Amino acid sequence: MPQPVVARPLLRALNLLAAAMVAALLIPRPAISQTAKTKAAPAKSYTAPRTPDGQPDMQGVWSNAILTPLERPADLKDKAFFTPEEAAAYIKRTIEQGNKDRRDGSGTETDVSRAYNDFWWDRGTSIVKTLRTSLITDPPDGRVPALTPAAQKRAAEVREARRLHPADGPEDRPLPERCIVLNSAGPPMSPSAYNNNYQVVQTAKTFVVLNEMIHDARVIPLDGSPHVPSSIRLWMGDSRGRWEGDTLVVDTTNFTSQTPFRGSGENMHLTERFTRTDSETLLYQYTVDDPESFARPWSAAIPSLRTTGPILEYACNEGNYGMEGLLSAARFEEKKKSK
Amino acid sequence: MRTSVAVYLGIAGLLMAAAPAWAHHAFAAEFDAQKPVKLKGTVAKVEFINPHSWIHMDVKDADGKITRWMVEGGSPNALFRRGVTKDALPLGTEISVDGYQAKDGSNRANGRDITLADGRKLFVGGSNPDEQPGK
Repeated sequence: MPQPVVARPLLRALNLLAAAMVAALLIPRPAISQTAKTKAAPAKSYTAPRTPDGQPDMQGVWSNAILTPLERPADLKDKAFFTPEEAAAYIKRTIEQGNKDRRDGSGTETDVSRAYNDFWWDRGTSIVKTLRTSLITDPPDGRVPALTPAAQKRAAEVREARRLHPADGPEDRPLPERCIVLNSAGPPMSPSAYNNNYQVVQTAKTFVVLNEMIHDARVIPLDGSPHVPSSIRLWMGDSRGRWEGDTLVVDTTNFTSQTPFRGSGENMHLTERFTRTDSETLLYQYTVDDPESFARPWSAAIPSLRTTGPILEYACNEGNYGMEGLLSAARFEEKKKSK
Repeated sequence: MRTSVAVYLGIAGLLMAAAPAWAHHAFAAEFDAQKPVKLKGTVAKVEFINPHSWIHMDVKDADGKITRWMVEGGSPNALFRRGVTKDALPLGTEISVDGYQAKDGSNRANGRDITLADGRKLFVGGSNPDEQPGK
């Protein structure tokens, strides 16, 4: 007889983790931002250790597992920060609601979507230390700015195409299902339901971000070279980095029209900032500048916490039996309807 | 907190239905809520792979006929990080699976719960409201 897979105390902790994932479900897809004036500004007192090349050393494995939502929940209105009591209640509620081991709603699509039980999930168990109610730090309402009419039209077209052709072939399915890009890996990176870890590797002329959620290593040149021509569009955009003091600033352009982030378009200019703020924290901030899509630029901030490596493999295409299952299900439904 | 739990449950429900990206792919597009299944059998093959794990099991019916089923789980990475290894589920282990069958009627299901012969839930640590303490 097999033994229990994991010791019970650990399991309890893991259940909390899993419950944390629920929180993310309460909120539209996460992202984080921050402007220079926000409370999350890097602490001045900490000086990061140096690489042999003299750069601030950001190498290691970091986790974005956190329960703070990208956007402030609508019911919180102008409340930018939780009190400690509210924060505790929010965390508890979020973990409970996300618990995949719940058995209410049996026989519904919601229950099917809970998929497999809580042990497989890892959404984090805490919110940002500032107790900010959103990862978005700017605009002040903590919400993604309104989409422009052009961006709304684009999104509506995508929805309509998906409605008309949900699964004629794999090309109709979302990019994550096709193992091409997974949203949480970005850029920009966002907290997700599992595989929230990323590894940074630095050399004198490159900064590499290896994300556990899918197989991409984003190799960011630091050599002052220009972006690729605008005619070249890339799934993850074209990233170029530079040091501003102890902060690595990464500019990314040349996105595709198929990789919208919260409604962004292919001409989004993304600026990410990586800053060590203490021995255990790599502050990750980003600003989305895309006037074609958003009423104004917006920013978010995620405190990435040091975690245990190694980053594990994510060989997505090789094991993607789910795609076959989805398409087969679609054919079956079509046959059923035609009878 | 003034927000009622009902509101949050409603939102969570909507998002779970509308945002399958959390589970990498849309389980509701693959499995049928109208086809709940309870499978009992032995582990025949374990694939701790991405984007989703699969546990293959042999299910014996009343006539002794054996049918192979595939049960879908999550990404194994979090499990590995928590100390789970492939040895955690040896071949031949008796398990029961509660899940939903594939829409196309094939012998695939998602693994809502996987239970060992002695009643212990596999990969569950006590947060299951249905689980009895001490199990």
